[in-house]
Amino acid sequence: MDVDITGAKVLFTIPIDFPVLGKIQVSETIVVSWIVMALITGLCIWLTHDLKVKDISKRQALAELIVDKANNFVIGNMGERFRYLIPFVSALFATSVVSNLISLIGLRSPTADLSTEAAWAVVVFIMITTQKIKTNGFGGYLKGFTTPIAVMTPFNILSELATPISMACRHFGNILSGVVINALIYAALALASNKLLGLIPGAAGRVLSQIPILDVGVPAILSVYFDWFSGVMQAFIFCMLTVMYIANAAEES
Amino acid sequence: MQVQELVGIVPWTFIAQICNLFIQMYLIKRFLFKPINEMLKKRQEMADAEIVEAKKAKDEACAMKNEYEQNMLEAKNKANEILVNAQKTASIQSEKLIKEASAQAIAMKAKAENEIAQEKKKAVNEVKSEIGGIAMDIAGKVIEREINEEDHAKLIEEFISNVGEAS
Repeated sequence: MDVDITGAKVLFTIPIDFPVLGKIQVSETIVVSWIVMALITGLCIWLTHDLKVKDISKRQALAELIVDKANNFVIGNMGERFRYLIPFVSALFATSVVSNLISLIGLRSPTADLSTEAAWAVVVFIMITTQKIKTNGFGGYLKGFTTPIAVMTPFNILSELATPISMACRHFGNILSGVVINALIYAALALASNKLLGLIPGAAGRVLSQIPILDVGVPAILSVYFDWFSGVMQAFIFCMLTVMYIANAAEES
Repeated sequence: MQVQELVGIVPWTFIAQICNLFIQMYLIKRFLFKPINEMLKKRQEMADAEIVEAKKAKDEACAMKNEYEQNMLEAKNKANEILVNAQKTASIQSEKLIKEASAQAIAMKAKAENEIAQEKKKAVNEVKSEIGGIAMDIAGKVIEREINEEDHAKLIEEFISNVGEAS
């Protein structure tokens, strides 16, 4: 029995060859991202329709709680002047969580594609760098690489570049490991049920052994960790790091 | 079906995901934060308005209380005044009554004394005339002769008045 773990499927290709970038491939990642965006936006609209000032519904209380938590998370970690980053951090967190959890309904997580995390990490890296230049000036930013001594410059540049790479790879690795392990578990359990039911003699055994009965229920236990815990945790860590790096960049003297 | 690499960065996916992130940011801002923040602002305004209103009501109540207290004070003062006035009037009246009574008493006493004096005078006069008669009798008997009654009466009068003064 073969277990095949591949990258995102290419659903269709727009046959225009761009220089460097190549043909546009609309992959599973992109389509599921659209689904994720639609889900989040739909949820937002559902949560905020029919808002009232008094006698609020549970739905509105939840919406207010989410907004309040997002405000507290960003302002608590970064301060009042980064209020404009609240929607960005919220979007990052919501997209990440929903993308991670969408694997529960059998779709391929967009976060199981390094392109996604790399895109996010690069955006965050640009924001960090912009913030650093804004705080110290361009000269001050460049000078920052030579601290504490000039010899350290290559290492400083390396550690600077390591920030987005580590952010992207941490998130991607966790989700990919879940995908890989899930695939292995499903395959292994299908094989196990095949062999187990194959013990039943006759035609009944041959038919039943084709049904991977052990695949029902058992992977759900592992999914608690690999999908739920890891998914929410990685989204949280990614946002926390974003917030922390930007806040640190603003504080450097 | 063609598949992409398991670990790798596909340029178009990369670009699409950056766009997606910012679109998602706008959507969340537009559909979650904007309505909720507007609603929260409205609620804040309402709470502020309620506080202002409550303050106004309190001020009004305070003013009313002050007015009431002032009224009460005035009423108390008025009552006190009335009481004092009544006391004054009563004392004046009683004094007047007492004075009148004493005046009456004095008048009555004077009248009584007058009467007494008159009675006394009357009694004295009676006694005088009786004594005069008796004296005349005695004198007539003593001197055995009738003296001129006119002289006689004068003499007696003198005598008695002397007696009255001596007595």
